[in-house]
Amino acid sequence: MDTELSEISSFIHSIPPFDSLPKQVLAHLVRELSINYVRKDDSLPPKGINEPRLYILRKGAISCRSADGVLVSRLGEGDLCDAFYHSDASAFDNSQISIENQLNVQTDEDCLIYSVEASILHDISGRFPSIGDYFSQNSAQRLKTKMSQVNEEAILSSTLMNTSVSNFYHTPVASIDAKQTIQQAAIQMNEQGYSCLVVIDDNNPVGIVTDKDIRRRCVATGLATSEAISEIMTRDMCSIDVKSNAYDALMKMTAKHIHHLPVTKHDQLVGMVTVTDLINNEGHNAINLSSIIHKASTLSELKEISHFIPKLQIRLAKLGSSADHVGKSISAITMAFTKRLIEMAEYKYGQAPVPYAWLAAGSQARQEQLAHSDQDNAIIICNSMKPYDDAWFESLATFVCDGLAECGFIYCPGDIMATNPKWRQPQKMWHNYFTDWVETPSPKALLNSSVFFDLETIYGDVSLLNNVRKKLLIKTQNSTLFIAHLSKNALNLRPPLGFFRDFVLKQSGKHRATLDLKHNGIAPVVDLARIYALAEGISAVNTIERIQQAAGTPSLTKESADNLIDAYEFLGMLRVEHQAKELMRGESPDNYLSPKEISKLEREHLKDAFKVIKSLQDARQSSY
Amino acid sequence: MTSTTLANSSVFGWLIGYEAKRKKLLQKAPAGVLRDFLSVPLPDIDTPIDKVEILAVDFETTGLDAKQDKLLSVGFITLKKQQMSLKTSYHQIIKTKAQLEESNVIIHHITDSQKEQGQALSTVVETLLKALAGKVMLVHFARIEKQFLTEACLELYGMAPTFPMIDTLALAKRRLDKRDVAYDPSELRLTNLRRKFELPEHHAHNALNDAIATAELFMAQMSKANKNGETTLKDVLL
Repeated sequence: MDTELSEISSFIHSIPPFDSLPKQVLAHLVRELSINYVRKDDSLPPKGINEPRLYILRKGAISCRSADGVLVSRLGEGDLCDAFYHSDASAFDNSQISIENQLNVQTDEDCLIYSVEASILHDISGRFPSIGDYFSQNSAQRLKTKMSQVNEEAILSSTLMNTSVSNFYHTPVASIDAKQTIQQAAIQMNEQGYSCLVVIDDNNPVGIVTDKDIRRRCVATGLATSEAISEIMTRDMCSIDVKSNAYDALMKMTAKHIHHLPVTKHDQLVGMVTVTDLINNEGHNAINLSSIIHKASTLSELKEISHFIPKLQIRLAKLGSSADHVGKSISAITMAFTKRLIEMAEYKYGQAPVPYAWLAAGSQARQEQLAHSDQDNAIIICNSMKPYDDAWFESLATFVCDGLAECGFIYCPGDIMATNPKWRQPQKMWHNYFTDWVETPSPKALLNSSVFFDLETIYGDVSLLNNVRKKLLIKTQNSTLFIAHLSKNALNLRPPLGFFRDFVLKQSGKHRATLDLKHNGIAPVVDLARIYALAEGISAVNTIERIQQAAGTPSLTKESADNLIDAYEFLGMLRVEHQAKELMRGESPDNYLSPKEISKLEREHLKDAFKVIKSLQDARQSSY
Repeated sequence: MTSTTLANSSVFGWLIGYEAKRKKLLQKAPAGVLRDFLSVPLPDIDTPIDKVEILAVDFETTGLDAKQDKLLSVGFITLKKQQMSLKTSYHQIIKTKAQLEESNVIIHHITDSQKEQGQALSTVVETLLKALAGKVMLVHFARIEKQFLTEACLELYGMAPTFPMIDTLALAKRRLDKRDVAYDPSELRLTNLRRKFELPEHHAHNALNDAIATAELFMAQMSKANKNGETTLKDVLL
């Protein structure tokens, strides 16, 4: 029972990255600590200490300011200060670290400070690289490490990992005798609805043949369909034991680029599992829900179904799905509701007088919608419409928007809805709108209209919007003034600096009790992605797709793109987890995350994400 | 024995006399640990407190009577230039013959079996004296450490040395007394004083933890009392 130094030990052990150290190493580290008491309004490092050290704040508060006096971070109990950790600033020519190297660190209260020599941590890092990585990596690298862990965990915790192949395979296996012809195989596939047959010779499975084999090895090569099926089958058949888990089956198929995998039990063929079987399971509920929505015949049925949306979001969050996946699933459901309502309206009011398209704007268009979000929609109508045709579209808009509201999608507070005559216009008016916005961009109009730069066709004639978008993108690519205005506007939303104790620390040095994940984290990334897309003529509206497509263009380097996606996915993950908790408590989900809700490590990762976003915002600002 | 009592009875005697007394005792001291200890000069009483080398010490004992009760464990750490390095820290349980009483075990958590694995009193006192040479001893509630160390030296070397002490309890008491307002003596406990200075909770009744806790408290006290850096050793000596 080693009680001496036990508090110091457990204190150090609670701080990432030291939480990963084994007991003996932790004990060694504790022995190497020094304790200083630094008075209020004094500075670090304490007098007489010149060697590089890592400081760990045990009690008190300190502020770190850049050389020009701008607050960079404020540290409280349990925070690490690595401003004096790196002996050689030039060894880290990454801009983020060298800035940290020039910090002025001042105590705001009397402080009890632990510290350890950098050389000791270097020694420990030799055996535990994660410790060294934590201090040598910059924000972007740390975030990347975190996100790859998250993805790995998502795979591990996914149902596939915990479910046996036996839950998925089809039995009996469709089989064909080796002497049958290729044509007979194709006929059998057609009749039974299989795309894959096991070839049997003398009661033994000798190979496997798929419809793709018929295309590739028969039709494409001009082989006669009267040849024996054994001519085109794949002989060394790969299989999996029925006791394996479904994840292994998926991995085996992915590695071999195959879609069908025979399942064996005691080396006897018992069934077949396909990639589709496995993947469908993951998105199971979303797909089910869409098909139920499609079958609903009354508004009250739809309303009933809409109660499943929050449950779906909880389920997806519990499965460890990425925010991207959750957003796409929920957006798909909203799209299904909207489509079904339009079909009902068309049934009620008759066919549309002229071609049109129902558009989604904002998060639904970007496929980033979450449960309980408001509706943003519009209608684009063929130019051939006559003034009296609008009555039909007004009826449609009223029916659909009211229907969506019934199903829990609240009316847009900014009145960006098809019921608003302004957003229910023929194609030529939409052209005019966009031309106006791009050519005479007033910041205020931009803020309100930026939602219309994220538009997607939900229903109807896709070409109406596509034509408008094509012309718009040519304009935006050539209008530096417009892009400059948009950039300036986007920079109004800045991520906070980080955290101080249980508060969010804003750039101004002020504290907030909660972090607005949407406006101070996610929206800035969405805005940046939109600017890249408009500047580079990218037609995608989904934020991740926009960033991926902008990667390598003059607007965004590939590396920055990767970093921004990591930051975005991390913020999205926190939001999905936060909302899942609220939904499970029966509360309506919001975007306000209390620092108390998340671990110390997550706070560090959030800080890293803020840094990535801020650096790209700064890059944007300086380019105009 | 008489000389110790005499010195104890007079604070003034302590202040003026500890260096003179050390030299006098050095002449009488038998060769070995005690002479080595006494041969290192002590810091001048006018030294600014920030520059004085201090050894924060704490003892756990079987009771409060140095004549009857036994030393159970010793913990200490060096405080130098307002910094403590845990590398300089020491904690040792002492192997004594005395049976431990249950009521006491509850406080210090040292069991008979742990005690059996401890080191001899002579080894522990020798280590302490080596670390203490030339330094000022810092404790919370000086009576225990002073009397038990004196008794141990008498037992081991036949004579007791002199050692200048700073007592965080006495410092706190001096401040409270100055205010001329009644106070609850429990305010003077180490845990309560630390709380008053907003220092973190510590695991009390482990000799090393208490020594560190005392040193932290002392630094906090000095932070308040010695804003101008004018405090010297004589201002805080017991």
